Amino acid sequence: MGKVFDPSLILEFIPTLVKYLGVTLEILVASIFLGTIIGIAAAIPKLFHIPIVKQLVTIYISFIRGTPIIIQLFLVFYGLPAVLSIINIDISRMDALYFVVITYSLSNGAIFAEIFRGAISAVEFGQTEAAYSIGMTPFQNFTRIVFPQAIRVAFPNIANTVIGSLKDTSLAFTIGVMDMMGRGETIIAATAHALEVYIALSVVYYGVVLILEKGFKVFEKYANRYQGTDTSVA
Amino acid sequence: MVIDIPFIWVAFKEIAKAIPLTLMLAVIPVVIGFFIGLAVTLIREYKVKGLYSIANGYVSFFRGTPAIMHIMLIYFGIPMVLDSMINSLNLPFETNKIPIYLYVIFALSLTAGSYLSEIIRSGISSVAKGQMEAAYSIGMSTPQAMGRILLPQALAKSIPNFTNLSVGFLHTTSIAFLVSQKELTGMANIVASSNLKFLESFIAAGLIYWGISIIMEGIYYLVEKRVQQYSKGGVGSLARD
Repeated sequence: MGKVFDPSLILEFIPTLVKYLGVTLEILVASIFLGTIIGIAAAIPKLFHIPIVKQLVTIYISFIRGTPIIIQLFLVFYGLPAVLSIINIDISRMDALYFVVITYSLSNGAIFAEIFRGAISAVEFGQTEAAYSIGMTPFQNFTRIVFPQAIRVAFPNIANTVIGSLKDTSLAFTIGVMDMMGRGETIIAATAHALEVYIALSVVYYGVVLILEKGFKVFEKYANRYQGTDTSVA
Repeated sequence: MVIDIPFIWVAFKEIAKAIPLTLMLAVIPVVIGFFIGLAVTLIREYKVKGLYSIANGYVSFFRGTPAIMHIMLIYFGIPMVLDSMINSLNLPFETNKIPIYLYVIFALSLTAGSYLSEIIRSGISSVAKGQMEAAYSIGMSTPQAMGRILLPQALAKSIPNFTNLSVGFLHTTSIAFLVSQKELTGMANIVASSNLKFLESFIAAGLIYWGISIIMEGIYYLVEKRVQQYSKGGVGSLARD
Protein backbone atom coordinates (compact mmCIF):
# COMPACT_ATOMS: atom_id res chain seq x y z
CA MET A 1 0.00 0.00 0.00
CA GLY A 2 1.91 3.00 -1.24
CA LYS A 3 5.47 3.87 -0.39
CA VAL A 4 7.24 4.43 2.92
CA PHE A 5 5.67 7.17 5.03
CA ASP A 6 7.51 10.46 4.57
CA PRO A 7 6.33 13.31 6.85
CA SER A 8 8.25 15.97 4.91
CA LEU A 9 5.96 15.35 1.93
CA ILE A 10 2.97 16.60 3.95
CA LEU A 11 4.45 20.10 4.04
CA GLU A 12 5.37 19.82 0.39
CA PHE A 13 1.81 18.89 -0.65
CA ILE A 14 0.01 21.59 1.34
CA PRO A 15 0.87 24.53 -0.99
CA THR A 16 -0.23 22.52 -4.05
CA LEU A 17 -3.52 21.65 -2.40
CA VAL A 18 -4.17 25.17 -1.09
CA LYS A 19 -4.15 26.42 -4.70
CA TYR A 20 -7.34 24.41 -5.20
CA LEU A 21 -8.95 25.70 -2.02
CA GLY A 22 -10.48 28.40 -4.24
CA VAL A 23 -12.61 25.85 -6.09
CA THR A 24 -13.76 24.32 -2.82
CA LEU A 25 -14.71 27.74 -1.43
CA GLU A 26 -16.37 28.66 -4.74
CA ILE A 27 -18.65 25.63 -4.43
CA LEU A 28 -19.29 26.49 -0.78
CA VAL A 29 -20.12 30.18 -1.31
CA ALA A 30 -22.27 29.58 -4.41
CA SER A 31 -24.23 26.77 -2.77
CA ILE A 32 -24.76 28.68 0.47
CA PHE A 33 -25.95 31.75 -1.45
CA LEU A 34 -28.32 29.81 -3.73
CA GLY A 35 -29.31 27.56 -0.81
CA THR A 36 -30.38 30.62 1.18
CA ILE A 37 -32.64 31.76 -1.66
CA ILE A 38 -34.12 28.25 -2.06
CA GLY A 39 -34.46 27.99 1.71
CA ILE A 40 -36.43 31.24 1.95
CA ALA A 41 -38.63 30.21 -0.97
CA ALA A 42 -39.26 26.81 0.62
CA ALA A 43 -39.91 28.19 4.10
CA ILE A 44 -42.62 30.63 2.94
CA PRO A 45 -45.24 27.99 1.96
CA LYS A 46 -44.71 26.26 5.30
CA LEU A 47 -44.95 29.46 7.34
CA PHE A 48 -48.07 30.73 5.53
CA HIS A 49 -49.63 27.26 5.14
CA ILE A 50 -50.09 27.47 1.37
CA PRO A 51 -51.82 24.20 0.35
CA ILE A 52 -50.23 21.78 -2.18
CA VAL A 53 -47.00 23.82 -2.33
CA LYS A 54 -46.59 23.13 1.38
CA GLN A 55 -46.90 19.37 0.83
CA LEU A 56 -44.46 19.47 -2.07
CA VAL A 57 -41.95 21.36 0.06
CA THR A 58 -42.40 18.81 2.85
CA ILE A 59 -41.58 15.97 0.44
CA TYR A 60 -38.59 17.88 -0.92
CA ILE A 61 -37.20 18.50 2.57
CA SER A 62 -37.87 14.92 3.65
CA PHE A 63 -36.12 13.53 0.59
CA ILE A 64 -33.03 15.71 1.02
CA ARG A 65 -32.82 14.90 4.72
CA GLY A 66 -33.44 11.22 4.02
CA THR A 67 -30.75 10.56 1.41
CA PRO A 68 -26.96 10.93 1.47
CA ILE A 69 -25.49 13.90 -0.37
CA ILE A 70 -23.51 11.56 -2.61
CA ILE A 71 -26.73 9.95 -3.89
CA GLN A 72 -28.18 13.41 -4.51
CA LEU A 73 -25.00 14.29 -6.37
CA PHE A 74 -25.31 11.23 -8.63
CA LEU A 75 -29.03 11.84 -9.15
CA VAL A 76 -28.42 15.41 -10.31
CA PHE A 77 -25.39 14.42 -12.36
CA TYR A 78 -27.21 11.67 -14.26
CA GLY A 79 -30.78 12.87 -13.85
CA LEU A 80 -30.65 16.52 -14.86
CA PRO A 81 -29.29 15.86 -18.38
CA ALA A 82 -31.91 13.12 -18.83
CA VAL A 83 -34.75 15.40 -17.75
CA LEU A 84 -33.53 18.35 -19.83
CA SER A 85 -32.96 16.16 -22.91
CA ILE A 86 -36.73 15.65 -23.01
CA ILE A 87 -37.12 19.34 -23.83
CA ASN A 88 -34.11 19.16 -26.19
CA ILE A 89 -31.56 20.93 -24.03
CA ASP A 90 -28.21 19.18 -24.05
CA ILE A 91 -26.20 19.83 -20.91
CA SER A 92 -24.29 16.56 -20.84
CA ARG A 93 -21.09 18.44 -21.68
CA MET A 94 -21.58 21.00 -18.92
CA ASP A 95 -18.74 21.37 -16.42
CA ALA A 96 -19.21 18.97 -13.49
CA LEU A 97 -18.73 21.93 -11.15
CA TYR A 98 -22.22 23.23 -12.04
CA PHE A 99 -23.81 19.91 -11.12
CA VAL A 100 -22.04 20.06 -7.78
CA VAL A 101 -23.26 23.61 -7.13
CA ILE A 102 -26.84 22.65 -8.09
CA THR A 103 -26.81 19.61 -5.78
CA TYR A 104 -25.33 21.41 -2.81
CA SER A 105 -27.68 24.37 -3.30
CA LEU A 106 -30.70 22.04 -3.28
CA SER A 107 -29.33 20.23 -0.24
CA ASN A 108 -28.56 23.41 1.70
CA GLY A 109 -31.89 24.89 0.62
CA ALA A 110 -33.81 22.11 2.36
CA ILE A 111 -31.77 22.45 5.54
CA PHE A 112 -32.05 26.24 5.52
CA ALA A 113 -35.81 26.05 4.98
CA GLU A 114 -36.15 24.05 8.18
CA ILE A 115 -33.81 26.38 10.08
CA PHE A 116 -35.61 29.53 8.92
CA ARG A 117 -39.01 28.10 9.66
CA GLY A 118 -37.94 26.99 13.14
CA ALA A 119 -36.28 30.32 13.92
CA ILE A 120 -39.21 32.43 12.76
CA SER A 121 -41.72 30.36 14.69
CA ALA A 122 -39.44 30.67 17.74
CA VAL A 123 -40.16 34.41 17.81
CA GLU A 124 -43.22 34.96 19.98
CA PHE A 125 -46.34 36.05 18.14
CA GLY A 126 -46.79 38.79 20.73
CA GLN A 127 -43.83 40.55 19.14
CA THR A 128 -45.68 40.77 15.83
CA GLU A 129 -48.86 41.92 17.59
CA ALA A 130 -46.91 44.58 19.44
CA ALA A 131 -45.31 45.76 16.19
CA TYR A 132 -48.71 46.04 14.50
CA SER A 133 -50.18 47.82 17.54
CA ILE A 134 -47.67 50.65 17.18
CA GLY A 135 -48.55 50.94 13.51
CA MET A 136 -45.73 49.04 11.75
CA THR A 137 -46.40 47.56 8.32
CA PRO A 138 -45.90 43.78 7.89
CA PHE A 139 -42.66 44.50 6.05
CA GLN A 140 -41.36 46.75 8.84
CA ASN A 141 -42.42 44.16 11.39
CA PHE A 142 -40.47 41.47 9.61
CA THR A 143 -37.27 43.44 8.96
CA ARG A 144 -37.11 45.31 12.27
CA ILE A 145 -38.72 42.97 14.81
CA VAL A 146 -38.98 39.37 13.70
CA PHE A 147 -35.86 38.97 11.55
CA PRO A 148 -33.29 40.31 14.06
CA GLN A 149 -34.66 37.99 16.72
CA ALA A 150 -34.94 35.02 14.38
CA ILE A 151 -31.39 35.36 13.08
CA ARG A 152 -30.14 35.07 16.66
CA VAL A 153 -31.89 31.72 17.04
CA ALA A 154 -30.97 30.52 13.55
CA PHE A 155 -27.37 31.55 13.51
CA PRO A 156 -25.72 28.63 15.36
CA ASN A 157 -27.56 26.23 13.05
CA ILE A 158 -26.60 28.20 9.96
CA ALA A 159 -22.97 28.16 11.09
CA ASN A 160 -23.12 24.38 11.56
CA THR A 161 -24.65 23.95 8.12
CA VAL A 162 -21.95 26.06 6.48
CA ILE A 163 -19.20 24.05 8.18
CA GLY A 164 -20.95 20.76 7.36
CA SER A 165 -21.33 21.90 3.78
CA LEU A 166 -17.62 22.72 3.52
CA LYS A 167 -16.85 19.18 4.60
CA ASP A 168 -19.42 17.79 2.17
CA THR A 169 -17.66 19.51 -0.74
CA SER A 170 -14.96 16.87 -0.29
CA LEU A 171 -17.30 14.48 -2.14
CA ALA A 172 -17.46 16.59 -5.30
CA PHE A 173 -14.42 14.79 -6.70
CA THR A 174 -16.55 11.63 -7.15
CA ILE A 175 -18.10 13.19 -10.27
CA GLY A 176 -14.77 14.51 -11.47
CA VAL A 177 -14.51 18.04 -10.11
CA MET A 178 -10.99 19.35 -9.62
CA ASP A 179 -11.37 20.77 -6.14
CA MET A 180 -8.91 20.28 -3.28
CA MET A 181 -9.88 16.65 -2.82
CA GLY A 182 -9.78 16.01 -6.57
CA ARG A 183 -6.29 17.47 -6.75
CA GLY A 184 -5.33 15.27 -3.79
CA GLU A 185 -6.51 12.19 -5.68
CA THR A 186 -4.36 13.12 -8.68
CA ILE A 187 -1.33 13.58 -6.44
CA ILE A 188 -1.97 10.12 -4.98
CA ALA A 189 -2.24 8.67 -8.47
CA ALA A 190 1.05 10.32 -9.41
CA THR A 191 3.11 9.69 -6.26
CA ALA A 192 1.37 6.82 -4.40
CA HIS A 193 1.83 8.72 -1.12
CA ALA A 194 -1.82 8.44 -0.09
CA LEU A 195 -1.47 8.91 3.66
CA GLU A 196 0.63 12.07 3.33
CA VAL A 197 -1.91 13.59 0.94
CA TYR A 198 -4.83 12.82 3.24
CA ILE A 199 -2.98 14.25 6.24
CA ALA A 200 -2.21 17.40 4.24
CA LEU A 201 -5.86 17.66 3.15
CA SER A 202 -7.04 17.21 6.74
CA VAL A 203 -4.76 20.02 7.86
CA VAL A 204 -6.14 22.39 5.23
CA TYR A 205 -9.80 21.51 5.93
CA TYR A 206 -9.22 21.79 9.66
CA GLY A 207 -7.55 25.19 9.20
CA VAL A 208 -10.47 26.52 7.16
CA VAL A 209 -12.99 25.19 9.69
CA LEU A 210 -11.09 26.82 12.57
CA ILE A 211 -11.10 30.17 10.76
CA LEU A 212 -14.82 29.86 9.96
CA GLU A 213 -15.60 28.97 13.58
CA LYS A 214 -13.70 32.02 14.84
CA GLY A 215 -15.59 34.25 12.41
CA PHE A 216 -18.96 32.80 13.37
CA LYS A 217 -18.21 33.29 17.05
CA VAL A 218 -17.60 36.99 16.46
CA PHE A 219 -20.89 37.33 14.59
CA GLU A 220 -22.76 35.33 17.22
CA LYS A 221 -21.53 37.71 19.91
CA TYR A 222 -22.74 40.61 17.79
CA ALA A 223 -26.17 39.01 17.20
CA ASN A 224 -26.50 38.35 20.92
CA ARG A 225 -25.35 41.80 22.03
CA TYR A 226 -28.70 42.65 23.69
CA GLN A 227 -29.00 39.32 25.46
CA GLY A 228 -27.05 39.93 28.65
CA THR A 229 -24.87 37.16 30.00
CA ASP A 230 -27.19 34.22 29.48
CA THR A 231 -26.96 33.50 25.79
CA SER A 232 -28.33 29.99 25.75
CA VAL A 233 -31.15 29.53 23.27
CA ALA A 234 -33.14 26.70 24.72
CA MET B 1 -31.90 9.00 -22.69
CA VAL B 2 -35.21 7.73 -21.38
CA ILE B 3 -35.75 6.70 -17.79
CA ASP B 4 -36.42 2.96 -17.60
CA ILE B 5 -38.92 2.78 -14.76
CA PRO B 6 -39.22 -1.04 -14.53
CA PHE B 7 -35.46 -1.22 -14.12
CA ILE B 8 -35.70 0.85 -10.94
CA TRP B 9 -37.49 -2.10 -9.34
CA VAL B 10 -34.87 -4.57 -10.64
CA ALA B 11 -32.12 -2.35 -9.26
CA PHE B 12 -34.06 -1.89 -6.04
CA LYS B 13 -34.10 -5.65 -5.39
CA GLU B 14 -30.42 -5.97 -6.22
CA ILE B 15 -29.32 -2.98 -4.11
CA ALA B 16 -31.52 -3.99 -1.17
CA LYS B 17 -29.13 -6.91 -0.58
CA ALA B 18 -26.65 -4.35 0.73
CA ILE B 19 -28.95 -3.15 3.52
CA PRO B 20 -27.46 -5.42 6.27
CA LEU B 21 -23.90 -4.20 5.64
CA THR B 22 -25.09 -0.59 5.50
CA LEU B 23 -26.97 -0.91 8.78
CA MET B 24 -23.94 -2.56 10.37
CA LEU B 25 -21.72 0.31 9.23
CA ALA B 26 -24.28 2.81 10.48
CA VAL B 27 -25.24 1.30 13.84
CA ILE B 28 -22.00 -0.13 15.27
CA PRO B 29 -20.05 3.17 14.99
CA VAL B 30 -22.86 5.07 16.70
CA VAL B 31 -22.93 2.54 19.56
CA ILE B 32 -19.12 2.54 19.99
CA GLY B 33 -19.09 6.29 19.46
CA PHE B 34 -21.61 6.68 22.25
CA PHE B 35 -19.16 5.21 24.76
CA ILE B 36 -16.27 7.24 23.34
CA GLY B 37 -18.46 10.32 23.52
CA LEU B 38 -19.47 9.60 27.10
CA ALA B 39 -15.86 9.09 28.17
CA VAL B 40 -14.75 12.26 26.37
CA THR B 41 -17.60 14.25 27.90
CA LEU B 42 -16.72 13.10 31.42
CA ILE B 43 -13.04 13.95 30.84
CA ARG B 44 -14.01 17.41 29.65
CA GLU B 45 -16.60 18.02 32.38
CA TYR B 46 -14.22 16.97 35.18
CA LYS B 47 -11.19 18.52 33.50
CA VAL B 48 -9.07 15.38 33.98
CA LYS B 49 -5.44 16.46 33.89
CA GLY B 50 -3.45 15.48 30.82
CA LEU B 51 -6.42 13.88 29.07
CA TYR B 52 -8.37 17.13 29.00
CA SER B 53 -6.44 18.78 26.21
CA ILE B 54 -6.25 15.51 24.24
CA ALA B 55 -10.04 15.19 24.47
CA ASN B 56 -10.50 18.78 23.34
CA GLY B 57 -8.13 18.31 20.43
CA TYR B 58 -9.83 15.07 19.42
CA VAL B 59 -13.32 16.63 19.34
CA SER B 60 -12.13 19.74 17.56
CA PHE B 61 -10.15 17.85 14.90
CA PHE B 62 -12.80 15.23 14.12
CA ARG B 63 -15.54 17.82 13.94
CA GLY B 64 -13.33 20.00 11.77
CA THR B 65 -12.44 17.51 9.05
CA PRO B 66 -14.69 15.55 6.66
CA ALA B 67 -15.54 11.95 7.58
CA ILE B 68 -13.99 10.82 4.29
CA MET B 69 -10.63 11.99 5.69
CA HIS B 70 -11.06 9.87 8.79
CA ILE B 71 -11.84 6.80 6.69
CA MET B 72 -8.90 7.42 4.36
CA LEU B 73 -6.45 8.23 7.18
CA ILE B 74 -7.40 5.06 9.07
CA TYR B 75 -7.56 2.95 5.92
CA PHE B 76 -4.06 3.97 4.80
CA GLY B 77 -2.53 4.76 8.19
CA ILE B 78 -3.40 1.75 10.36
CA PRO B 79 -1.97 -0.90 8.00
CA MET B 80 1.24 1.12 7.80
CA VAL B 81 1.59 1.25 11.59
CA LEU B 82 0.61 -2.40 11.97
CA ASP B 83 2.96 -3.52 9.21
CA SER B 84 5.95 -1.86 10.79
CA MET B 85 5.04 -3.40 14.14
CA ILE B 86 4.62 -6.84 12.58
CA ASN B 87 7.89 -6.55 10.72
CA SER B 88 9.83 -5.60 13.83
CA LEU B 89 8.23 -8.35 15.92
CA ASN B 90 8.12 -10.98 13.17
CA LEU B 91 4.51 -11.88 13.83
CA PRO B 92 2.78 -14.32 11.47
CA PHE B 93 0.03 -11.90 10.43
CA GLU B 94 -0.77 -9.92 7.33
CA THR B 95 -2.63 -6.65 7.45
CA ASN B 96 -4.22 -7.16 4.06
CA LYS B 97 -6.29 -9.94 5.61
CA ILE B 98 -8.14 -7.42 7.78
CA PRO B 99 -11.55 -6.81 6.18
CA ILE B 100 -11.94 -3.22 5.02
CA TYR B 101 -15.22 -2.71 6.83
CA LEU B 102 -13.34 -2.92 10.15
CA TYR B 103 -11.36 0.18 9.14
CA VAL B 104 -14.57 1.91 8.17
CA ILE B 105 -16.21 1.00 11.48
CA PHE B 106 -13.13 2.16 13.41
CA ALA B 107 -12.96 5.47 11.54
CA LEU B 108 -16.68 6.18 11.79
CA SER B 109 -16.67 5.27 15.51
CA LEU B 110 -14.10 7.98 16.10
CA THR B 111 -16.15 10.42 14.02
CA ALA B 112 -19.34 9.50 15.88
CA GLY B 113 -17.55 9.80 19.22
CA SER B 114 -16.61 13.41 18.59
CA TYR B 115 -20.13 14.41 17.53
CA LEU B 116 -21.77 12.43 20.34
CA SER B 117 -19.55 14.00 22.98
CA GLU B 118 -20.89 17.42 21.98
CA ILE B 119 -24.47 16.12 22.02
CA ILE B 120 -24.07 14.55 25.46
CA ARG B 121 -22.37 17.68 26.76
CA SER B 122 -25.21 19.89 25.62
CA GLY B 123 -27.64 17.40 27.19
CA ILE B 124 -25.79 17.59 30.50
CA SER B 125 -25.70 21.37 30.51
CA SER B 126 -29.45 21.43 29.93
CA VAL B 127 -30.09 19.60 33.22
CA ALA B 128 -30.59 22.07 36.08
CA LYS B 129 -27.65 22.38 38.44
CA GLY B 130 -29.92 21.84 41.45
CA GLN B 131 -30.40 18.20 40.40
CA MET B 132 -26.76 17.36 41.12
CA GLU B 133 -26.79 19.38 44.33
CA ALA B 134 -29.94 17.58 45.48
CA ALA B 135 -28.35 14.20 44.73
CA TYR B 136 -25.27 15.12 46.78
CA SER B 137 -27.40 16.48 49.60
CA ILE B 138 -29.08 13.11 50.10
CA GLY B 139 -25.65 11.48 50.26
CA MET B 140 -25.16 10.07 46.77
CA SER B 141 -21.62 9.60 45.54
CA THR B 142 -20.57 11.27 42.27
CA PRO B 143 -20.96 8.06 40.19
CA GLN B 144 -24.38 7.45 41.74
CA ALA B 145 -25.52 11.01 41.10
CA MET B 146 -24.18 10.81 37.55
CA GLY B 147 -25.68 7.43 36.72
CA ARG B 148 -29.01 7.82 38.45
CA ILE B 149 -29.80 11.51 38.27
CA LEU B 150 -27.81 13.47 35.73
CA LEU B 151 -27.23 11.12 32.78
CA PRO B 152 -30.78 9.74 32.51
CA GLN B 153 -32.12 13.28 32.22
CA ALA B 154 -29.32 14.45 29.97
CA LEU B 155 -29.68 11.50 27.58
CA ALA B 156 -33.46 11.79 27.45
CA LYS B 157 -33.07 15.43 26.42
CA SER B 158 -30.51 14.46 23.77
CA ILE B 159 -32.79 12.05 21.90
CA PRO B 160 -33.71 14.47 19.08
CA ASN B 161 -30.00 15.04 18.51
CA PHE B 162 -29.34 11.28 18.58
CA THR B 163 -31.99 10.89 15.88
CA ASN B 164 -30.30 13.45 13.65
CA LEU B 165 -26.91 11.90 14.25
CA SER B 166 -28.05 8.33 13.55
CA VAL B 167 -29.74 9.33 10.31
CA GLY B 168 -26.68 11.41 9.47
CA PHE B 169 -24.46 8.39 10.01
CA LEU B 170 -26.63 6.24 7.82
CA HIS B 171 -25.86 8.79 5.12
CA THR B 172 -22.19 8.96 6.04
CA THR B 173 -21.83 5.22 5.36
CA SER B 174 -22.39 6.08 1.69
CA ILE B 175 -18.78 7.26 1.44
CA ALA B 176 -17.57 3.78 2.39
CA PHE B 177 -18.05 2.92 -1.29
CA LEU B 178 -14.90 4.95 -1.95
CA VAL B 179 -12.92 2.22 -0.19
CA SER B 180 -14.80 -0.35 -2.30
CA GLN B 181 -17.38 -1.48 0.22
CA LYS B 182 -20.51 -3.05 -1.23
CA GLU B 183 -22.95 -1.04 0.87
CA LEU B 184 -25.96 0.70 -0.68
CA THR B 185 -24.04 3.29 -2.69
CA GLY B 186 -21.30 0.84 -3.67
CA MET B 187 -23.93 -1.68 -4.76
CA ALA B 188 -25.81 1.02 -6.68
CA ASN B 189 -22.58 1.88 -8.43
CA ILE B 190 -22.01 -1.74 -9.41
CA VAL B 191 -25.58 -2.21 -10.65
CA ALA B 192 -25.35 1.11 -12.49
CA SER B 193 -22.14 0.42 -14.32
CA SER B 194 -22.85 -3.22 -15.14
CA ASN B 195 -26.23 -2.31 -16.69
CA LEU B 196 -25.28 1.21 -17.83
CA LYS B 197 -28.39 2.53 -16.11
CA PHE B 198 -26.98 5.09 -13.72
CA LEU B 199 -30.01 7.23 -13.03
CA GLU B 200 -32.33 4.28 -12.34
CA SER B 201 -29.87 2.66 -9.92
CA PHE B 202 -29.32 5.81 -7.93
CA ILE B 203 -33.05 6.49 -7.80
CA ALA B 204 -33.47 3.02 -6.30
CA ALA B 205 -30.64 3.61 -3.82
CA GLY B 206 -32.10 7.00 -2.91
CA LEU B 207 -35.48 5.43 -2.21
CA ILE B 208 -33.90 2.79 0.05
CA TYR B 209 -31.97 5.41 2.03
CA TRP B 210 -35.09 7.53 2.29
CA GLY B 211 -37.11 4.58 3.55
CA ILE B 212 -34.56 3.55 6.16
CA SER B 213 -34.26 7.17 7.33
CA ILE B 214 -38.02 7.44 7.81
CA ILE B 215 -38.11 4.12 9.71
CA MET B 216 -35.22 5.24 11.92
CA GLU B 217 -36.96 8.51 12.71
CA GLY B 218 -40.11 6.57 13.56
CA ILE B 219 -38.27 4.27 15.97
CA TYR B 220 -36.62 7.21 17.71
CA TYR B 221 -39.96 8.95 17.93
CA LEU B 222 -41.38 5.94 19.80
CA VAL B 223 -38.33 5.78 22.09
CA GLU B 224 -38.62 9.48 22.80
CA LYS B 225 -42.30 9.19 23.60
CA ARG B 226 -41.65 6.35 26.00
CA VAL B 227 -38.74 8.05 27.73
CA GLN B 228 -40.62 11.30 28.04
CA GLN B 229 -43.60 9.49 29.50
CA TYR B 230 -41.35 7.81 32.05
CA SER B 231 -39.66 11.00 33.15
CA LYS B 232 -42.99 12.65 33.88
CA GLY B 233 -43.08 10.71 37.13
CA GLY B 234 -39.77 12.29 38.06
CA VAL B 235 -37.69 9.11 37.82
CA GLY B 236 -36.45 9.08 34.23
CA SER B 237 -34.95 5.98 32.70
CA LEU B 238 -31.78 5.55 30.71
CA ALA B 239 -32.41 6.05 27.03
CA ARG B 240 -32.01 2.68 25.41
CA ASP B 241 -29.78 3.30 22.46
